[in-house]
Amino acid sequence: MAEVILKGVSKVYEGNVHAIKDISLEIADREFLVLVGPSGCGKSTLLRMIAGLEDITSGEIQIDGHTVNQLPPKDRDISMVFQNYALYPHMTVYDNMAFGLRIRHFPKDEIDNRVQEASRILGIEKLLSRKPKALSGGQRQRVALGRAIVRKPKVFLFDEPLSNLDAKLRVHMRTEIKKLHQRLKTTMIYVTHDQVEAMTMGDRIAVVKDGILQQHDTPMNLYNNPVNIFVAGFIGSPAMNFLEGKIEDKKVVFGGISMDIPPGVRTDGISDVIVGIRPEYFILNDVSPHFTAQIEVVEPMGNEIFVYFQLGKKSVVARIPADTKVRPGDALPLRINVGMVKLFDPESKVSLSC
Amino acid sequence: MKPNQKDVEATRFKYLFLLPALILIFAVVIYPFIYNIVISLSNMSMSHFHDWQIVGFRQYAKVFSEPIFYSVLGKTVVWTIVNVFFHVVIGVFLAVLLNRYLPGKGIFRTLLIIPWAMPQYITALTWRGMFNYEYGAINLILSRLLHLPMVQWLKNPTDAFAACILTNIWLGFPFMMVIAYGGLQSIPKELYEVADVDGASGWQKFWKITVPHLRPVMIPAIVLGVIWTFNNLNVIWLVSNGGEPSDKTHILVSYVYKAAFNLYRYGYAAALSMVIFFILLLFGINFIRKTRATEGAY
Repeated sequence: MAEVILKGVSKVYEGNVHAIKDISLEIADREFLVLVGPSGCGKSTLLRMIAGLEDITSGEIQIDGHTVNQLPPKDRDISMVFQNYALYPHMTVYDNMAFGLRIRHFPKDEIDNRVQEASRILGIEKLLSRKPKALSGGQRQRVALGRAIVRKPKVFLFDEPLSNLDAKLRVHMRTEIKKLHQRLKTTMIYVTHDQVEAMTMGDRIAVVKDGILQQHDTPMNLYNNPVNIFVAGFIGSPAMNFLEGKIEDKKVVFGGISMDIPPGVRTDGISDVIVGIRPEYFILNDVSPHFTAQIEVVEPMGNEIFVYFQLGKKSVVARIPADTKVRPGDALPLRINVGMVKLFDPESKVSLSC
Repeated sequence: MKPNQKDVEATRFKYLFLLPALILIFAVVIYPFIYNIVISLSNMSMSHFHDWQIVGFRQYAKVFSEPIFYSVLGKTVVWTIVNVFFHVVIGVFLAVLLNRYLPGKGIFRTLLIIPWAMPQYITALTWRGMFNYEYGAINLILSRLLHLPMVQWLKNPTDAFAACILTNIWLGFPFMMVIAYGGLQSIPKELYEVADVDGASGWQKFWKITVPHLRPVMIPAIVLGVIWTFNNLNVIWLVSNGGEPSDKTHILVSYVYKAAFNLYRYGYAAALSMVIFFILLLFGINFIRKTRATEGAY
């Protein structure tokens, strides 16, 4: 059990390449924090810095109240799960899980108890004598989790552990890891590029781009109150629609639509804005629609339908109920949920919400 | 089902492409091998060069009844084990060094491969010169730099044999280094990182990760190394000048060469070379089976 604190952490590689820029973040004891961002944004580097696999150029990392900047990985009391599982191919599942304990000279009985317990938790009791090559991707990932669990570390670090699994297994393992967190009640830091994983797993999510921490908050706060266009566009699937607009006579005008300025938005002295509308902010309404959409593409998802149409000169997507009778070429009267619409400054890209 | 005309023609066409290789293999491998078996069963020698006859296993009996066979075999085993041991140890050690962050890595890599890239006979003769009692570099280093007594390298049988071994170690380690270096580069770095997190020391990582991962590449290389070293005529012949002093530095293959081309005992030499062949065949099969070298790690 431990909190992890990052204070002004930076990483500069040779050639003055700034991978991590002055990140400060507090991860509470027993929290499940997800680091999310596009490929190459520095999230894995940050995780590896916490693990001690990468040096820190400046700043401070604390685990359980101790500064660990100079400590090697083995003395940080952490366990890490890698994307490619990193199982020792020449060892059995049992030996893979017992390796770290043997290195630390745990008594044989203790090792056996811990391996058996972890294998029971993960449902891999019957695989203990197998070698990794005889396991499926999902089973390998369980073994990698088992190897992390047996050490009973203060902090678990996950580096895109589900990326090599197929979509169905990924969803299943997502739940398994979440259950594991609830059972072990240990601090977990989880890196992913998949915003769905981030939303579904994290107590809090930290969004990283170009080595800079953009925003960290609960999944719902991130979704509903993104601080900038990047976070707004990155979180949510399908992504938020962005349209160029203007503020005219205390109204927002975009794509031929004029609507009230959403509440809690500062627009003093601002004339140009970027209007952010999530697909579900469009509502079917034939009584007082804001506009009529000429549907170009229909994507039925079973539980809902995504419809694509032009608004102004931009293609946008709306999420409508599954029972809507709609075909390409149809005209659909839509109203926008004005209270939820986000406005952003086109220069700084930050949200104009107070 | 009867094959149709088209299938037959296609098969013939395939064999036509294989034919040049088959002819070549027959001419340089199969025919000499069979001819050697025939000669080994004959009394062919300088006195029976044209009128040789099949004499059964008499030459084999002679090989096994002469005490020199056992002393040369013993020396061959020592020669092979010592050489291959140092080839592997030095090769893996240097490969591990090269695989780390090392400034000027490319230069070191090139320098270390040079002994292997040089023609063997040039290196062997150079080393023979270096072992010269009066003017050789080795004795100059021993006496002038280290103030140690000079060694009669090529006069004393044990020292001459040691000189041959030193030369061959120099010649052989780059091959093992190149193989080990390739093997090291295929080991995922995450395995070392997991071990770091688990708390493994450098030595533990070497034995628990590096060695098991190098096994599948090193075992076949060791088998080749054993066969090449066991059959290495050049170094022994050139450094010791044909088994000198007094034929005390022979290994089996140089002894066979001398029997065949200096003493013209063709039947005897052919029988002895068949014995060498079977020793190496049995070694190769057993070694690969016992070490399960062909089973990949993944």
